Amino acid sequence: MENSSQESHLRSENSVTYDSSYPIYAMAFSSFTSSLPNRRRRIAVGSFIEEFNNRVDILSFDEDTLTLKPVPNLSFEHPYPPTKLMFHPSPSASLKSNDILASSGDYLRLWEVRDTSIEPLFTLNNSKTSEYCAPLTSFDWNEVEPRRIGTSSIDTTCTIWDVEKGVVETQLIAHDKEVYDIAWGEAGVFASVSADGSVRIFDLRDKEHSTIIYESPQPDTPLLRLAWNKQDLRYMATILMDSNKIVILDIRSPAMPVAELERHQASVNAIAWAPQSCRHICSAGDDGQALIWELPTVAGPNGIDPMSMYSAGAEINQLQWSAAQRDWIAIAFSNKLQLLKV
Amino acid sequence: MAMGHQDQDGVPDNLRKQLALAVRGIQWSYAIFWSTPVTQPGVLVWSDGYYNGDIKTRKTVQAGEVNEDQLGLQRTEQLRELYGSLLTGESEEDLQPQAKRPSASLSPEDLTDTEWYFLVCMSFVFNVGQGLPGKTLATNETIWLCNAHQAESRIFSRSLLAKSASIQTVVCFPYLGGVIELGVTELVLEDPNLIQQIKNSFLEVDPSVISKRPNYVSNDANNDINVISQKLDHNVLESDADPVEINNSSPHDSSNGFVANQEGEDSLMVAGLIGETSQAQSWKFMDDNMSNGANNSLNSSDCISQNYANCEKLSPLSSGEKETKPCPLEHQEHDQKKLHHLDHQGDDAQYQAVLSTLLKSSDQLTLGPHFRNINKKSSFAGWKTNIKMPSLGTAQKLLKKVLLEVPRMHDGVIHKLSRENHKKNSLWRPEVDDIDKSRVISERRRREKINERFMHLASMLPTGSKVDKISLLDETIEYMKELERRVQELEARSARRSNDTAEQTSDNCGTSKFNDIKGSLPNKRKACDMDEMEPESCNGILKCSSADTIVINMINKEVSIKMRCLWSEGLLLKIMEALTDLQMDCHTVQSSNIDGILSISIESKSTGSKTVAVGTLREALQRVVWKS
Repeated sequence: MENSSQESHLRSENSVTYDSSYPIYAMAFSSFTSSLPNRRRRIAVGSFIEEFNNRVDILSFDEDTLTLKPVPNLSFEHPYPPTKLMFHPSPSASLKSNDILASSGDYLRLWEVRDTSIEPLFTLNNSKTSEYCAPLTSFDWNEVEPRRIGTSSIDTTCTIWDVEKGVVETQLIAHDKEVYDIAWGEAGVFASVSADGSVRIFDLRDKEHSTIIYESPQPDTPLLRLAWNKQDLRYMATILMDSNKIVILDIRSPAMPVAELERHQASVNAIAWAPQSCRHICSAGDDGQALIWELPTVAGPNGIDPMSMYSAGAEINQLQWSAAQRDWIAIAFSNKLQLLKV
Repeated sequence: MAMGHQDQDGVPDNLRKQLALAVRGIQWSYAIFWSTPVTQPGVLVWSDGYYNGDIKTRKTVQAGEVNEDQLGLQRTEQLRELYGSLLTGESEEDLQPQAKRPSASLSPEDLTDTEWYFLVCMSFVFNVGQGLPGKTLATNETIWLCNAHQAESRIFSRSLLAKSASIQTVVCFPYLGGVIELGVTELVLEDPNLIQQIKNSFLEVDPSVISKRPNYVSNDANNDINVISQKLDHNVLESDADPVEINNSSPHDSSNGFVANQEGEDSLMVAGLIGETSQAQSWKFMDDNMSNGANNSLNSSDCISQNYANCEKLSPLSSGEKETKPCPLEHQEHDQKKLHHLDHQGDDAQYQAVLSTLLKSSDQLTLGPHFRNINKKSSFAGWKTNIKMPSLGTAQKLLKKVLLEVPRMHDGVIHKLSRENHKKNSLWRPEVDDIDKSRVISERRRREKINERFMHLASMLPTGSKVDKISLLDETIEYMKELERRVQELEARSARRSNDTAEQTSDNCGTSKFNDIKGSLPNKRKACDMDEMEPESCNGILKCSSADTIVINMINKEVSIKMRCLWSEGLLLKIMEALTDLQMDCHTVQSSNIDGILSISIESKSTGSKTVAVGTLREALQRVVWKS
């Protein structure tokens, strides 16, 4: 479970690897710093075991010594694999003095990460008809308005939570089919992707309407993930089911992508915009590669080549590029979490 | 050419008035002069313009004191001011609303869609060769675009904007090193004379003469155009050697209202334009040779060929301009405003609001220099094309599991939990304001009901192994056929043996009931959920020891059982025990023993939570009978 020095193919100063005892899917960087030693960062990893008992562990990353190891006692059981983990985007602004972690699955759950323990804060169910809450595929914590979390569900809805009050702010039927991902653009604006193959933008000020800004070329090809460029909100990226393409959208020109990045040799699993640039995006896929792309001002006739690449040697399932740790890209493949120096 | 003074960018200072005259003369909606600023060679920016379209809210500090002409110029100036104030950003505005805007200033909500279009145009910047203005400048040719609102964005980047503003016709022609663009909300077919007319009559007129003229003040608003046109006409005759006649007969029909009648030339309309959509037409225009206006050439392919999708978009992704542009603020503003009019699904209000919110705060960071030249310490290496990765089975395996399978795992558990745990107060239920919510819920209920019925149906089938709905229905169909076949067989046999049976059962209540069942079987099959009968049981009821007959009717949980079998010691008790084991509560039992044949009629009720399958029941009863 320690930092793996046996990973011979890696230059140790460029990357850190953590070997878990279980497959990893969900992963999140914490932006929490106070009460932690200098330059230590927390990373949450969620197991992916296809049964009830799953775990979430908190790791501590020391950038100076390049070590990545679990923090004792900071671990909890999660019913089934968490579909997403995310820390409070600005913990200093929250009411709690401790870091807060959110996880999605059957419900949206909030956990308070204390120094020596993790305590559940809320379990949030959005169903008004029964205790049954449609399972959540993903969520996004609003950076501008940290009391808001938006969840996406297989029951075609998105739910906006006020997590400070622990109540639902609103629930919208967002799509015709399962909603697979959700991303905030602004305090009251979010977008979602769905099995119905569309990217839609919602504005909480006007819940009557939504705008479809993209539809997958083959009808009903599900869109699986969505990433909104926080540096330049005109752009968002999405990926399709069974496709090696990353579709870059400009919200000003609905329906037509401004670019399609097609250099992965297998399907793409995860995308993340650079936290420090409006023109860079990282993607990872079944080909085991993490590619960093610089979006050109003018696309050449042969498409866009990535700027740089990293080969993990196995399908990369998860990718995080956090503003809290902008020099490091985290990827997850099989049982490993790896931090790559950008 | 008679020209006014020029400012440092080479723009005549009277240009706005000239544009005003031109656009009002032909009754179009707006005119824009695009020019190349000294500071930004190679691009065209909004230099001046005049707005002549519909106006929503008029705001003026001196209402009633100004004439129509001044109102027009004032409106344009107000739009320009509004654009300027929008440029400086809304945050400042909030701080000092009074200082920033006098009371007469316009705010965005005072504008019509066409005015918005005009205002947003101020934010556009075109590379030479890009967009309608850029193309016009590059080729030095007039471009006449009909159905601008339907044009592809690669031809006319503002087509979506134009759509919301109902701008249908846009014309660009080169002028004084820049480009004049005219637009109107109606469809006007290409007319070279019109442009020549404008050039000759309006743009070369010294506007100082016009503005001096006294009857401008007394213009009636309704006849404004007529009057101006007449003045212009008059003026042209004064100042220009070429006589021009202007037809003012139909001022409200702008497509024909101003047919210039020059030197006896016919109007030069391009055949084939009518009804065409999205056609950019280029018209070779020889500046010095008016009669050459007949040189029409359909150059739409030229227009398209070099324009790619986003040629006019000033985005970092689609255009190199972003990096070199000296005024990023304006750029951003341009984007913001432009978005106000992108209209995809008719939800333009929402979309506009969303976009303007989003684009307010796009701050542009760039990665450090190491980012471009791959950092030595980076884990990432330069990209190479030749690395091949064998295909690895299911694509997006884990991602699909997370999205498709994990939710199903929860499904089962949560249903179980919700049954056991009805009062879990920590869970919150929202008031959903979406009307569609009820549709989803009722659909879910419907599915639940259907599943319930399927379960019931499955419980009634003799084999209960298959669970999926298709095989369940298949089995049901087979089973129904089988039952019908048996019913027919039994009916035939019972008809043959009716005499026999009647004799034997004449004095026996139980058996007569039993015969009744046989007779009424077809009806019951329709009315009940399930009938069952062993056909071979009819073979020698009195003589054969294996002649056991079991008939089970099940209506919901009410089960009636009729059976006939060889009597043995304690058999009735055993049957009752068997039924009790199956959670059947027997409330009526009739039995008789005739010649060693036990006839039993039982009315019972299933008390278990799950309905007992008929097959199971029958098997249990048969087991009892066989053992005895």
